[in-house]
Amino acid sequence: METLRLLGPLAWRNIWRNPRRTIITLIVVSVGVYSILFFASFIQAWSVSSRDRALTLMTGSAQIHAPGYLDDPTIDLLMSEPGPALQGVLNAPEIRGWTTRLSVPAVIQSEYRSMPANIVGVDPTREKTVSTVPELVRQGRYLNSPADGAIILGEKLLNRLKTRIGKRVIILAQGADGASVEQSFDVVGVYSGASDLENRFAFIGLDTAQKMLGAGGKLSEISLLVPEDENLTRVVARLQKAAPELDIRAWRDLSPMAAAIDQITDTIVYVWLWIMFTLMAIGIVNTQLMAVFERVREFGLLQALGMRPRMILLIVALESSILVGLGILLGMAMAVVTVRALSGGVDLSFFADATAMAGVGNALYPKIDARQYVQLSVVVWFLGIAVALWPARKAAKASPVEAMTHVS
Amino acid sequence: MCPEENDAMQKIVPAGNPPENAIVTCRGLTKSYLQGTIEVPALQGVDLDIIAGDFATLAGPSGSGKTTLLNMIGGLDRPTGGTVIVDGQDLSRLSKAELADMRLHKVGFVFQSYNLIPVLSAAENIEFILRLEGVGAAERHERAMAALQEVGLAGLENRRPSHLSGGQQQRVAVARALISRPAIVLADEPTANLDSRTAGGLIDLMASLNESRGITFLMGTHDARVIARSRRHLEMTDGRIIADERR
Repeated sequence: METLRLLGPLAWRNIWRNPRRTIITLIVVSVGVYSILFFASFIQAWSVSSRDRALTLMTGSAQIHAPGYLDDPTIDLLMSEPGPALQGVLNAPEIRGWTTRLSVPAVIQSEYRSMPANIVGVDPTREKTVSTVPELVRQGRYLNSPADGAIILGEKLLNRLKTRIGKRVIILAQGADGASVEQSFDVVGVYSGASDLENRFAFIGLDTAQKMLGAGGKLSEISLLVPEDENLTRVVARLQKAAPELDIRAWRDLSPMAAAIDQITDTIVYVWLWIMFTLMAIGIVNTQLMAVFERVREFGLLQALGMRPRMILLIVALESSILVGLGILLGMAMAVVTVRALSGGVDLSFFADATAMAGVGNALYPKIDARQYVQLSVVVWFLGIAVALWPARKAAKASPVEAMTHVS
Repeated sequence: MCPEENDAMQKIVPAGNPPENAIVTCRGLTKSYLQGTIEVPALQGVDLDIIAGDFATLAGPSGSGKTTLLNMIGGLDRPTGGTVIVDGQDLSRLSKAELADMRLHKVGFVFQSYNLIPVLSAAENIEFILRLEGVGAAERHERAMAALQEVGLAGLENRRPSHLSGGQQQRVAVARALISRPAIVLADEPTANLDSRTAGGLIDLMASLNESRGITFLMGTHDARVIARSRRHLEMTDGRIIADERR
């Protein structure tokens, strides 16, 4: 404590002895930290957007099925409408929305061709809370109600069937009783911009699907959306508790490919972040080194006056921790203000084609990850102190004469 | 120095046991530096005793080894061979930290370029030594003010070095050197950066401190006025003391 009382005021005054040098160091550190933290938030938002774009097409954050359905997705393995207990959890605030579907393999027949596809019966109002497919309808219209007798096709499927809006197609499928059923539908809308789905999925009203297939009020899946991925495990556990007889899985289990892509994206983000970090760190290191190297003579004098080598290191550590600490706080504050200002979303719709190619949504939502902010800042802080200690250690190890005759 | 003067000086006889009141004892002191691959001797077997109360000057041409010898005695550098004993402590046996403690408690330094800490005021520069010694705040302040009074700088205690003249800075340096009541004050060219009037005042100050308080001074200098005021004069050439005159 006494040492701190001796060195503290000296360190503080030393910091402000050369205001220009101090301000340059502060700018380098704060801009470096700001860049690291802001880009961390931005690139994280990019990663989340990329994942969400994939999940919000159809999968959602989690799905509920009858046991065995995922291994054999036929009409034989359906489940009932969610009961009050399950609905209670589904309506929890962590869940942005949930939707019920009846999905069966079928054949779609146009005037010219027959193609295999999955027919998905949906409740249009609920579907819009989970899936972005309704927004992807670029020609015609989406379904109006669960009882809508029309069909929405993907653009690729439409082209392969050689049909168009206003034409009729026939769906052939197996009904709940095992018999074949068929029904004609008006093509009223075409969705595009989701190449994974366009060939495979056609959408009709849920009530219409249930009636056509003779499935009563039965469903094949409930899909739900949890905006904060960190809440998902807890939500799934609560759903499992509310409906232990059902098969409830998070998106990582449902879509191993999406999980793998997410992991790869995370790794790329991590590597990119560290490249950024290294570049910024080099700037900080350089400034700190210059600042300490030019004071080696002074450290020699302090030793000559009777200051122990350990105290030389302490004073440099103290000065660096204050200076780099101030720079970090400044950088953090700027990053927090910027990210907060952009938390409503960075609109990228102007670059819609580019974002579609890059697999991200039209808006990015940067967020402050407090743990990441603190981790990165602490690393910069220790790095700043460590690099300052290197020349200081050299000065402390040298004899006072060597240090005092040091030429910067 | 002319041969006649040289003859008048007491020739150095290699010392045996140091006198009882020796503050500094050097025996067979050598120091060499490497310049590239060539070893350059700076000190070549110096034997010297500085007695308590000496007001001694160390003169000689540039490169004769004056500063090197002062550095060895002050524990600022380590010798290549031989021994230096300061106030009973053999410096060769001390660690870096112990050497720092020795410098703090037993040696006061006055450098040619003052070397005050620029961020501290005159009083704080002096107090800094006492802080390192762990002296309490009240005593620190009292002693620093007294020291400033003694060197004729009362009223300038709050000025930083950049707001003091060269002579004033050197007086602060003298006060700083004396504040820990050291066994010896080593001054390397203390008047070299001062005009003749200021230098004269500084010499008077150091001489009076020596006379009134018995403080031991060893000064490396070219300044004839400093040499004229000294009561012991040592002459160095090629890393050896070639003459030692007491007046």
